[in-house]
Amino acid sequence: MSAPQTLTDGLAAQSTSDSQVLLRLLKLAWRHRTRCLAVLGLQVVLLVLGVWGLSFGGLGVDVLRHHLEPAAPQPHWPLGLTPPAGLSTWQTLLALGGLILGMGLFRGFLNFAYSMQAGKLVHIEIVPAVRADVYAKLQRLSFRFFDAHASGSIINRVTRDVQLLRSFIDGVMINGIIMCLSLTLYAVYMISTHPWLTAASLVLSPVLWVVTHRFSKWAQPEYAKNRKLVDNMVLRIAEGTKGIQVVKVFGQEKEEHARFVAANHAVKEQQTAIFKAVSVYGPSVQFLSQMNVAVLLGYGGWLVSAGELSLGSLIVFVGLLQKFGEQVRSMATVVDTLQQSLSGARRVFEVLDADVEVQCPVDPVRPTQIQGGLKFERVSFGFGSEQAALTDLDFEVKPGQCVAILGGTGSGKSTLLSLLPRFYDPTAGRILLDGVDLRALDLDVLRRNVGVVFQESLLFSATIAENIAFGKPEASQADIERAAKVARAHDFIMALPEGYDSVLQEAATNLSGGQKQRIAIARAILLEPAILLLDDPTASVDPDTEHEVLEAVDSATKNRTTFIVAHRLSTLRRADIIFVLKEGRIVQRGTHAELMDQSGLYSRTARLQTGDSEELALIALGGVA
Amino acid sequence: MKGSYTRHFARDGADEAVQRPISFAMVKRLYHYSKAHRGLRNWLLVMVSLRAIQVPLVTWIITQIVVGPITQGKSEGVLWGVAGFVAFELFTEIVCVYRSRWALMFGEAIVHDLRNDLHRHIMSMPLSFFQRRKIGRFISRMTSDVDAVRTGVQDVVFVSFVQSGQALTAAVLMAYYDWKLFLLMLGMVPILWAITRYFRSRLMQAYRQVQESFSRVTVTLVESVTGIRVIQGFVREEFNGQLFEDLVADHSKYNMRVAKQTAALLPLLEFNGQLFLAIILVLGGAQVLDGDVSLATIIRFLFLSTLFFSAVPAIGGQYNNALTAMAGAERVFDLLDAKADWTDKPGATVLSSLEGRVEFRDVGFEYVPGRPVLRHVSFEVKAGQTVALVGPTGSGKSSMIKLIGRLYLPGSGSVFIDGHDSRDLDGQSLAHRVGTVPQDNFLFTGTVRENIRMSQPDASDAAVEEAVRSLGMWDLVNELPHGFDTQVGEGGGSLSLGQRQLICFARALLPDPKIIILDEATSSVDAVTEARLQLALQKLLHGRTSFVIAHRLSTIRHADIILVMSDGQIVERGQHAELVAQKGAYFELHRQFVGE
Repeated sequence: MSAPQTLTDGLAAQSTSDSQVLLRLLKLAWRHRTRCLAVLGLQVVLLVLGVWGLSFGGLGVDVLRHHLEPAAPQPHWPLGLTPPAGLSTWQTLLALGGLILGMGLFRGFLNFAYSMQAGKLVHIEIVPAVRADVYAKLQRLSFRFFDAHASGSIINRVTRDVQLLRSFIDGVMINGIIMCLSLTLYAVYMISTHPWLTAASLVLSPVLWVVTHRFSKWAQPEYAKNRKLVDNMVLRIAEGTKGIQVVKVFGQEKEEHARFVAANHAVKEQQTAIFKAVSVYGPSVQFLSQMNVAVLLGYGGWLVSAGELSLGSLIVFVGLLQKFGEQVRSMATVVDTLQQSLSGARRVFEVLDADVEVQCPVDPVRPTQIQGGLKFERVSFGFGSEQAALTDLDFEVKPGQCVAILGGTGSGKSTLLSLLPRFYDPTAGRILLDGVDLRALDLDVLRRNVGVVFQESLLFSATIAENIAFGKPEASQADIERAAKVARAHDFIMALPEGYDSVLQEAATNLSGGQKQRIAIARAILLEPAILLLDDPTASVDPDTEHEVLEAVDSATKNRTTFIVAHRLSTLRRADIIFVLKEGRIVQRGTHAELMDQSGLYSRTARLQTGDSEELALIALGGVA
Repeated sequence: MKGSYTRHFARDGADEAVQRPISFAMVKRLYHYSKAHRGLRNWLLVMVSLRAIQVPLVTWIITQIVVGPITQGKSEGVLWGVAGFVAFELFTEIVCVYRSRWALMFGEAIVHDLRNDLHRHIMSMPLSFFQRRKIGRFISRMTSDVDAVRTGVQDVVFVSFVQSGQALTAAVLMAYYDWKLFLLMLGMVPILWAITRYFRSRLMQAYRQVQESFSRVTVTLVESVTGIRVIQGFVREEFNGQLFEDLVADHSKYNMRVAKQTAALLPLLEFNGQLFLAIILVLGGAQVLDGDVSLATIIRFLFLSTLFFSAVPAIGGQYNNALTAMAGAERVFDLLDAKADWTDKPGATVLSSLEGRVEFRDVGFEYVPGRPVLRHVSFEVKAGQTVALVGPTGSGKSSMIKLIGRLYLPGSGSVFIDGHDSRDLDGQSLAHRVGTVPQDNFLFTGTVRENIRMSQPDASDAAVEEAVRSLGMWDLVNELPHGFDTQVGEGGGSLSLGQRQLICFARALLPDPKIIILDEATSSVDAVTEARLQLALQKLLHGRTSFVIAHRLSTIRHADIILVMSDGQIVERGQHAELVAQKGAYFELHRQFVGE
């Protein structure tokens, strides 16, 4: 079970031992002890009543038989509950019937209470609390955590792993205790009636347990394989329909169908193997339990016929044996659940224990007014042991200046921007905002003063107004509209049927790239930040709507210190200073005019965009020097 | 504003019915699907019939041993009885092996066939069919809906058969021993049935609410993880935390609703058994005392009644499954019955070769009636010419290239390829001779080689490599971790934009098409990649008729014809220099583009 997870999460090594995890889980159970005890207590009462209920039925048979054949053995009354002597047989039966009925009713109520208590323990107390904790922690974790883990694995920790964790409480702890108690109770009751019969009829139980355990061991990887094959089939459907245009333009419908048929067939083939095993397993277990009954009937029947056991007791035995078998079979489930719950809990604890790398200082500086002057002093940054992403950055930006950054993939542009809102801290050197080290500032104040527009706009499934007010949910409609106007978004928003209340679909597919980016710009400037970061805001925007975004950028950057990552000349030429980054170092700096006069990456990029074909061949063949 | 997140989730599929009444037409169609597996089906019926009799018989044998040799004190008889019991039990379980194996295989066989039919049908639909539908719907038709049908064919029919057979056999035996006591029991069946139905339908609703509230939890979670930069950048941690807690609490509420229904249903069913035990003891006991009934009958009733009553909730559950299966079947067959807007004409012209001449003659086109996207478009392109399409978003550029690739047919006027009206052509034969590079650079999960070969599955490795080499990108592919065998993730995620586009170029080039259709990607890439892309592009287009929705100045400049589109019409046409000199729409676009 744990194999696929360790593959996806590099960090999920066995950092904590099983016993440590176990201890923490027990602590968690202790925190919910009242409800746990209530659940357990109810179950114990239910168990006892269940055994009694069975025994009353058998008693009825014995009373009748004794009445008809006085030679038959005396009814065996449990707990010395002999009926008053004056009672006729029919009255005794009536009393027994009443007892059974009353107890059935009582059991019904208790059962209801038990299920409700167990439900509350799981659904109201444990799961929401743990989920909220994990979620709250997740949101505060530093980006390194998100860089290191696939998003699917992170999401699983809040959903599936929390469920696995709680299954320790109800599936392992409570069920385990109940299992032990009931096995003991059944065994004690049976032994007290007839020890040898008990021994004989339980002789096959260990075999039953082994068979169940072996099967579940075999089945788990098979089911995992099955899930994989089904996933693969679903992927074929998803890709075949998502890429339908590609399939059609190349006339590959038949080939794509053949691929699906193969995936579908693989599922069927593998299923057949599972079916064969399952169809043998079920009846085998059933046969084994029935063999217990056979032993009971043979030996017990012989005892009854010899007058050593009452007929009613035999009937009770049959019922108890059935319940006993059920518990033995559930033992395998408890063992499996234990394994799964431990690995789930470990992944949950990993999140809860992860270090929050970027933290607010203890005694932070809270400036009342931020001017937006920035100074990088020999700043370097690297992700782990890899080659440094940024090396020795040293520059100063005056309040209100616009800095453009140009560079190839992996040159460190986005990383540079990430340092400003302290998504990461530099590994060497320091960054000063208005003369104060970023690490000395109040983190919330800093982040509220750094507006960020990301490469992909990352809007949320909520209304446009809620998206713009994302950083300040209490913002007034007037504030929201003002921001939208600055971002040149007001007009198109008003043109939508529901205006600001239009709900964005998942990934905001109902808006164009340029529209999404303008909403993202409005979102950033609603907070009136002193510093604005724009990470290639026109990257995924059609060139013919690019100018709309650029207009928004122009009006948003007024009176703000701005960092803008860009490739297109149209954007670059607006900046006060341009930095050309290569492999984490600034290789060129200056204004557009200055850089155009130098021979280097900048002027080449510029000529490339104006369609100079000689330049094209040169860059492509020689690479960039 | 709080709690608004829950409000906004109009989840996909929320409007779909969970259950539908049993319809004869639907059953008939499903029955039709079983014909391909009639051997399996018929053997399964034999096994099921055997099971229906065997199970009560096993119980009956036990009671016979109890009331016979055991009560009468015949020790030897007990042993013979037990031996018979073991033998019969073994036989029963062997039948059970095949009964469950064949049922599972039968269900899977039908699911498998349905999925293949669905997929074949989907693939045969024209592109317009996909425009109106969500991918998630296709997936749920082929997974959850088909699985509902599986339960229908594999369980509903056969389990109900076994259960009613068991109940009937038990009933016959009980009625044979004491019909009065049996009638009394029969009176309880409707009550039990009503209880089961009532709770089952409420449980269904509750389960659905649990699923919906859970999908709200996961959607929020997914957005929180993918958008973590925005959340931290905008200091939203606490606000979101509260929202999430509300969503989780909402989800718990529905979970508790399920718990409550189950908590009530199970004890009620159990109580029913207890009630019956009491009734048999008291009423039956009274009759025994009067001498009307033997003790053996009471014992038989104790055993057989359990069997009889367990059938009622089981059949109730199956009835529920049947209704769910009907809803699934209805949606599956709806999709299978969906008609294509158009298909190839019978006797369509199969193109064996192509020169590459293209003509639009007064073409009009609309996706939605009354909202034309192309109006009176006419132009002629000679073999080997490059056409650049420019114009603002929504001006009709992409519709135009879809008409050339015959993904759609023109609404009015005609598109001629080598002089053939596109309506008279065989779609596949045209597709095999036209190379297309889509804007989103869509790649399939698989290796780089498999993706390139996708346009011509029978191409040799050498041909694939030659296509890559001729585009001047051999070293780029070799730089990938496993060269041509590098796995391309879902949607090509592990490659850079530039790399993806180059693979799409190679894919289009592989069958050596005479017509190239290219929708240039808009995303900007770094200078080196950009330069290489432009060079590869020139090689790709060389000597072929090509239509390019151009975003690069260099592409536009090299075009033989530039068509400037606006509002579904061609407003200017000519070459770069001419158009710039005209100082019209093209001049404006060009000015915006170079950012002057």
